[in-house]
Amino acid sequence: MSYAYLFKYIIIGDTGVGKSCLLLQFTDKRFQPVHDLTIGVEFGARMITIDNKPIKLQIWDTAGQESFRSITRSYYRGAAGALLVYDITRRETFNHLASWLEDARQHANANMTIMLIGNKCDLAHRRAVSTEEGEQFAKEHGLIFMEASAKTAQNVEEAFIKTAATIYKKIQDGVFDVSNESYGIKVGYGGIPGPSGGRDGSTSQGGGCCG
Amino acid sequence: MSMEASELQDLSDDADYAASQQQGSASMMRSDSGKRSSPSEHEDAELIYLKDNVAIHPTQFASERISGRLKLTKQDSVLFLSWIPYKGQTSNAKLSEKDRSLYTITAVPFTEVRSIRRHTPTLGWQYVIVVLSSGLAFPPLYFYNGGVREFLAIVKQHVFLARSSEDPNVFIVNDFQSPLQRTLSSLELPSSLPVASGQSVYPLDGGSSNENQGRTSADIGNRVSSVIQSGLRKHKNHDPTRDLSIHLLEKFSLVTKFARDTTTQLFSENNGFGSVDKRWNNQPVHSYPEKLSNIAEEKHNEIRHSYSENDLLKDEEISNDIDVPADPLEFNNISLVWGKPRQPPMGHKEFTALLDSEGRVVESKALRERVFYGGIEHQLRREVWPFLLGYYAYDSTYAEREYLRSVKRMEYATLKQQWQSISPEQAKRFTKYRERKGLIDKDVVRTDRAFEYYEGDDNLHVNSMRDILLTYSFYNFDLGYCQGMSDYLSPILFVMEDESESFWCFVALMERLGPNFNRDQNGMHTQLFALSKLVELLDTPLHNYFKQNDCLNYFFCFRWILIQFKREFEYEKTMQLWEVMWTHYLSEHFHLYVCVAVLKRCRSKIMGEQMDFDTLLKFINELSGHIDLDSTVRDAEALCICAGENGAASIPPGTPPSLPLDDGTLYPQEDDVL
Repeated sequence: MSYAYLFKYIIIGDTGVGKSCLLLQFTDKRFQPVHDLTIGVEFGARMITIDNKPIKLQIWDTAGQESFRSITRSYYRGAAGALLVYDITRRETFNHLASWLEDARQHANANMTIMLIGNKCDLAHRRAVSTEEGEQFAKEHGLIFMEASAKTAQNVEEAFIKTAATIYKKIQDGVFDVSNESYGIKVGYGGIPGPSGGRDGSTSQGGGCCG
Repeated sequence: MSMEASELQDLSDDADYAASQQQGSASMMRSDSGKRSSPSEHEDAELIYLKDNVAIHPTQFASERISGRLKLTKQDSVLFLSWIPYKGQTSNAKLSEKDRSLYTITAVPFTEVRSIRRHTPTLGWQYVIVVLSSGLAFPPLYFYNGGVREFLAIVKQHVFLARSSEDPNVFIVNDFQSPLQRTLSSLELPSSLPVASGQSVYPLDGGSSNENQGRTSADIGNRVSSVIQSGLRKHKNHDPTRDLSIHLLEKFSLVTKFARDTTTQLFSENNGFGSVDKRWNNQPVHSYPEKLSNIAEEKHNEIRHSYSENDLLKDEEISNDIDVPADPLEFNNISLVWGKPRQPPMGHKEFTALLDSEGRVVESKALRERVFYGGIEHQLRREVWPFLLGYYAYDSTYAEREYLRSVKRMEYATLKQQWQSISPEQAKRFTKYRERKGLIDKDVVRTDRAFEYYEGDDNLHVNSMRDILLTYSFYNFDLGYCQGMSDYLSPILFVMEDESESFWCFVALMERLGPNFNRDQNGMHTQLFALSKLVELLDTPLHNYFKQNDCLNYFFCFRWILIQFKREFEYEKTMQLWEVMWTHYLSEHFHLYVCVAVLKRCRSKIMGEQMDFDTLLKFINELSGHIDLDSTVRDAEALCICAGENGAASIPPGTPPSLPLDDGTLYPQEDDVL
């Protein structure tokens, strides 16, 4: 399928916060509580529409365990957006946000759009991090913030799309040189013609994952 | 001392632990480090610093060190680091010239250095670890006469050094911008590295270059240029040996053996293998050892073993306008050597025939060979895996094994009791335990739950898995628990069907593969480095491609190596592959040859589609479930034979899954390092 733009996303955060479930909810619209833990990285993709333009999101779902950080860091390269996820029922996953953010700031493009997601908001009775704390952290660090639930799908669609909309706006505002793929954006057919406007290698090799 | 750092998740966070691991596994080198033109050998390079008696420990024994001279030189305002081993002063006969040249660091520019980690313990030798932008690192450089501080001070005079905020012993190189805008070059993103275009590059072992090699390279260089000028892709048409190589069909059956006997020798005789391409990165062309061409010609008429079962690995989609460099081990699309056809799995009768009357394995090699070529019938795995994993000794009798099992059962119960006896009150004050238990609880319910044996709520096998992993994290508290371990344990428990037996088999496996789970990922980096060396040896054009496309860190093979292809094959196939690898029949590092085999199968697609790192990673990920096991194992066997001694020499000593040389302790004592 052709797209105007392709955005590379990366999903980061502690192990078990629901990164893979968020991805699956977004790409397949289903919640699968039983799935294998992520080793290395997994990929997902979906087409969305912003401003009447088809945009393909290529999403990298990373392993969360501390030991794999040195590998995970190599995945940040060329990401246009990041979903930084914590689990509202586990305080420590919130406490580790600063270190994830530090990684992202160090290894990703400075213009990368970061969405902070407090996941598992369906488990409000076990809440260990208040919404205000999430908001406050996001504000302090210039992130977009949402609480979401991969289980009920609440705000999942919104989180991915709002991130894309922010990136799209940055393109409109000329923040990115879209011909430079290190920003995590590829211009496809129908996108703003740039020096490399014809470059659309991913449509043919994307495999079956963009359904 | 680390216990007070409550933020840290695991005891293996300890820098000391990491360091001790790093020492033990002989660590890494940058594969292309030796191939740059060496400014230190030029007249105009300015010598900045020279330090004698700086050594590398290829094994965990300091007595087996390789001593050499560390130098900093400067040319065109770029600082270079080199370390050259002394000639003929190896302290141990086990270490050959080859080892020494393997470790040589030839003029690495600091633009490619990401960080320097220093270790200046009060006891023992000081050392530094130089980490490159690619994420790879050189093995620790031990300063036998001290002077790490002085070394760093001098480096600091010439490049920008900034102390890492995370670790005061780590100095980030070229970290000259604000934290938000650090240059790619100072981090792990090699994309911004300067490319030494137009420079001649030399083979890694150029440090020990001899006249013969120089001549060979020159000859080949001439031939290459003429081929390139004529625009021919299949340079083999120029190979005069081609016309001589019509051979009789009856020789076909000898090809494999012939190749086995000759390739190693050929490869070492003809150093031109691989060295040619490095001069012509965009148009790699190869010189073929004469006899190999003959083999290829013979095979031309042979029925090719069919492995192109799935489309993912087929080459046909490659557009014609991209000139994919030919595979040096192929001739007219027919691989030069190939492995034996797979045999049916070994059954009970056959196994029993390999035992003496009291149950000893008469000849372990015969058993390992049999398993290597055919695997094991499932019902028999429970009896054979403990041998392969090293839990049972091959020369043990039935009675001895029975006794071992009962002793180990009690020992397991004792170990398990250690965490089972932790009261809720005690757990409150035991963060490390709670964290580990929490992680394990979360992960066992995310391991192979689609597989019948582990599916459903309150599955007893899942509980066993949790108990084994938690017990292991007490048995080996330093290593603890890391994701990926449950992937190894799952088939073991499924095969052994007994908690204690599974635990001890897992323990035996972790003796070899524990370094995969080191917090600093050193065991992984060592293997990825060895893989890069093997690809360089067995498919230089592909190696060059990875080099040009910033893929030399081989992170795209991370999952393959971390859990030995567990996620790439279906359950039964994974068990087949594991038992083949665990025989260590042709090589302890057979899994790396499996990696090469798969990569070579995809080489045309990778290069033809000009995959960058991201695309390649995604592509490799999506191979999962699409790799044919039997043909891959055959390819890997052929590659392993083909690489011969040169292959073995490409893999640094101590690379997992090699057992630690010191049988006494699983992990080197801290005192060795501190």
